[in-house]
Amino acid sequence: MAHKIIFKPTFILNLKQQFTTTTTSQTHNISHCHFLHHPFFNIKIRPISLHSTTPITTTAAATANHGGYLDLTDDDLMRQCEMGTFKTSGPGGQHRNKRESAVRLKHLPTGIIAQAGEDRSQHMNRASAIKRLRSLIALKVRKTVDLDAYSPPRELLQILPPKSSIRGSDIGSQIGPNNPKFAMGMQALLDLIFAVDGSVSDAAKYLGLSTGALSRLILSDDSLRKEVNDLRASKRIRGIYWYSLWAQIQ
Amino acid sequence: MKLTLTNHNFSTLLNSSFINLTRPFCSLSLSSSLSSSTSIKPQVPIFLRPPIYSTKLNDLKKWHNWAKNIAFSIGSSFVQSDNGPDSTILCRELKWFIEDVVENHHSLFSQVGDDNEKVKMRADIEELYCLWKQRIEERKPFQYIVGCEHWKDLVLSVQEGVLIPRPETELIVDLVSDVVSKNEGLKRGVWADLGTGSGALAIGIGRVLGDGGKVIGSDLSPVAVAVAGYNVQRYSLQDKIELREGSWLEPLKDMEGKLAGLVSNPPYIPSKEIPVLQAEVGKHEPRVALDGGIDGMDALLHLCDGADLMLKPGGFFAFETNGEKQCRELVDYMKSNKSASLCNLEIFADFAGIQRFVIGFHR
Ligand SMILES: C[S@@+](CC[C@H](N)C(=O)[O-])C[C@H]1O[C@@H](n2cnc3c(N)ncnc32)[C@H](O)[C@@H]1O
Repeated sequence: MAHKIIFKPTFILNLKQQFTTTTTSQTHNISHCHFLHHPFFNIKIRPISLHSTTPITTTAAATANHGGYLDLTDDDLMRQCEMGTFKTSGPGGQHRNKRESAVRLKHLPTGIIAQAGEDRSQHMNRASAIKRLRSLIALKVRKTVDLDAYSPPRELLQILPPKSSIRGSDIGSQIGPNNPKFAMGMQALLDLIFAVDGSVSDAAKYLGLSTGALSRLILSDDSLRKEVNDLRASKRIRGIYWYSLWAQIQ
Repeated sequence: MKLTLTNHNFSTLLNSSFINLTRPFCSLSLSSSLSSSTSIKPQVPIFLRPPIYSTKLNDLKKWHNWAKNIAFSIGSSFVQSDNGPDSTILCRELKWFIEDVVENHHSLFSQVGDDNEKVKMRADIEELYCLWKQRIEERKPFQYIVGCEHWKDLVLSVQEGVLIPRPETELIVDLVSDVVSKNEGLKRGVWADLGTGSGALAIGIGRVLGDGGKVIGSDLSPVAVAVAGYNVQRYSLQDKIELREGSWLEPLKDMEGKLAGLVSNPPYIPSKEIPVLQAEVGKHEPRVALDGGIDGMDALLHLCDGADLMLKPGGFFAFETNGEKQCRELVDYMKSNKSASLCNLEIFADFAGIQRFVIGFHR
């Protein structure tokens, strides 16, 4: 299946503001890491070359077959990232007490950047950054949908409200925005909305929902709503807002 | 090559070793009278103390405002004097301070509640004034104020006399985790963390080893051994981690040629840099944990001999250094003096891009 990345670099700045809460006093430079991957996730390590050495090798990282990123485990996803902390001045290590533990991940295949810095340990910030990366990937990486043969994937069915007519009883209870699995459903939903050129009423038909019910679902997550509205704006369609729910949404 | 403990720094190490004869210490028997570290009572970090104090919300707010104002008044003056924390960092610490002290900190300042309402706390309000004063006036490290540091997914107890573990050092555990994931023998072997301090590396590694795997953590400082013992117990790793008091290799005489792995973050700061360190570090952290001698290499060179002597064939080692210069010197030293025993030498950078670690294997 073909995947399209509709990630425009100009988005990065907006996204950074929206998705990160790092302190203002730090320099936001990514440092040049001497290895591409982070060993925390048992990853291939790239040493600085010394003569006559045999690098530690691990099995190669999962191939980036454009997309499928959200199917990857955290470890595998991390393997596709370049990681940096915020540039520190001075020698670091034993010299310093400053808790410079903010983390910045750059997902190399897509160029998406996620960062986190509000936790007390670097390890935890890394975990938050990867969680953010997942939702950014879900929002920004699109795959083409064949509307003629469309059947919603299970991840999407799981985030639909029970009143959807195509949602079988075997799907289980509805998954909300706080569940980590929501990102994958959101990605599939955005794929569909993208395929129908931003029309919520058309998308709703494919999902066995009323336009109002799908709008409510879109409004339940801020980043999802923003993404749908950005898409609609690019197609010159009015955005979806709570106050316009009563009105007919096309 | 036969081992010869004759590098130019060894005599100084030998002297300190003689004064501090090996005293085995087992974390299982904190009550044992054999060790001097048993007489040291580790302090309980604030976040683990019972919430037995009760304060009016209003009084807590007053303290909070007072503390915040002081933090703001600092501006960037500490940054200018010794690259210390600015008010943004101090305010962040204040937030963490409240998290550790107040039982229900989540709803604390958000509620419209009654100012006479009582708040449950783990320290007395007077103590909070006193502690924040120490933070600002004495530049006492925040981690000593609250008695803990968040390191990897652990919360380790620390107190004056024990080095606060650094984020850079987390990487050593990751390197070890990577190595043992590919080598079952090393995963089940005995590892050593020399100069264990709070026990950070020993505990981190203890948790990535498999069944049968063990870690021996050693330190010259009785306070460090006591605090490490407390942390080991808190993570219920008494069966996996043994602590021994003594200088570098001495408490591990029984392990010659037997270790699967050897890690250390030894003191590596050149002596002349100690007086100009950031006050939190230079005035409060133990000198014995920081001062690595004239060029900072005393302990590191000694540890090379340790890797040669203690590791079994195929065993792994990882050392933290002060940066690129020390990494290069260490590798050069090993290449010219230890090439018969140590191989696959590599240098790794930390996340700020500074070449920080030297790793390798025993042939
Ligand atoms: C930089 S600290 C590292 C502590 C801990 N491993 C960490 O990474 O947080 C160095 C440690 O080495 C210990 N040390 C200093 N001289 C020593 C010696 N001769 N023998 C054993 N340990 C020593 C210090 O007490 C201190 O705990």
